[in-house]
Amino acid sequence: MMTILYEACLGGLMLCGKLIIIVIPLLAIFEVLRYVKVFRDLGSRTEPMMRCIGLRKSAVLPLFTGIFLGIAYGAGIIIRSAATGQMDKRELFLTGLFLATCHAVIEDVLIFVVLGGDAVVMLGLRLALAILLTGLLARLWKPRDGSINTEV
Amino acid sequence: MEITEEEQVPPVMQRIRCGALEGWRTVFKMIKFVLPLYIVVDLCKAYGLLDSMGVWCAPLMGLFGLPGATAFAFIAGGLINLYAAIAVLAPLDLTPWQVTQCGVMMGIAHNLVLEGGVLSSTGAHGGVLTLCRILLAAVAGWLMMGMQALGVAG
Repeated sequence: MMTILYEACLGGLMLCGKLIIIVIPLLAIFEVLRYVKVFRDLGSRTEPMMRCIGLRKSAVLPLFTGIFLGIAYGAGIIIRSAATGQMDKRELFLTGLFLATCHAVIEDVLIFVVLGGDAVVMLGLRLALAILLTGLLARLWKPRDGSINTEV
Repeated sequence: MEITEEEQVPPVMQRIRCGALEGWRTVFKMIKFVLPLYIVVDLCKAYGLLDSMGVWCAPLMGLFGLPGATAFAFIAGGLINLYAAIAVLAPLDLTPWQVTQCGVMMGIAHNLVLEGGVLSSTGAHGGVLTLCRILLAAVAGWLMMGMQALGVAG
C-alpha cells in the first residue's frame, strides 16, 4: 500500500519537475518574443483567420503554442495572457475548446502513424472539427458590448 | 490590453527575468491541479480500476465498428496518455483505417483528467471542455465508421 502511494507521489513530482523545466524557460522566451516586430506582425496577419473562430490577435500565441506543444505547456502561456487581461472569459473558453480538440498535433499524429494510421486524415479531421466547432460557438456566443475591441 | 506602438519596450534582460518569474507563478498554479490528479489516476491504475472500466466499456466499442478490446486502449489513453494507449493497441491487429479512427478519437480525447485540470487552471471551464472532448471523440468515431461503410475511405 505504502509503496504504491510512494510511487504515485514520485511520478507526480517528476511530472511537476518536467513542467517546471519546460514552462519557465518557455515563458521567459515568450516575454522576449512578445515585443519582437515579426511576432506582432504575425498577430495582425493571422487576424482575419482568427476572427473566423471568434478570437483576436492576442490569442494567436497561446493558440499556436497549444497546437504544437500541447495543452500542458501551452497552458502556461494561456494563463499568462489571461492574467495580463489580454483574453476575456469568452476567448479563454473558445481557445480552450479549439485546443481541447486539436493540440500537440505533431506528437499525437506521429504516435499513431507508428501503428499504421493515416496522418493526413488524422490531422485534417481534427483541424476541421476544431475550426467548425469553435467557429460555430463563436457565432452562437456573441461577445458582450465593449468586451471586444475591434481596433486593430 | 493590446500592446500599443507607443508602449515602452523593456530591455531584454528585464524581460527574461520577468518571464521566468511569471513562469514560476504559472507553474505553481498548474501544479495545484496536476499533482493531486496525477496521484489519483496512478492509484486507480495500481488498484486495477482501469481494467474494470475497460471490461465495462468493451460493448460500447461496437458502436464505432471497433473490436471490444480497444476499450482498454481508450481507457488507458483517456486517463493516462497516448503512449499507454498504443501499448494496448499495438498487439490488436487493427486495419489501417481502424488505427486512423482510434488516432482521431484518442487524439481528441486523451489524458482527460490531467488536461482537464490544466484547462481549469487557465480559467476556462475544464469540466465542460472535457465533456465536449468525449462527445466530440464519439461523434468523430461514428462519422469515420460511416465514411468507411459508405466506401468513402478505408
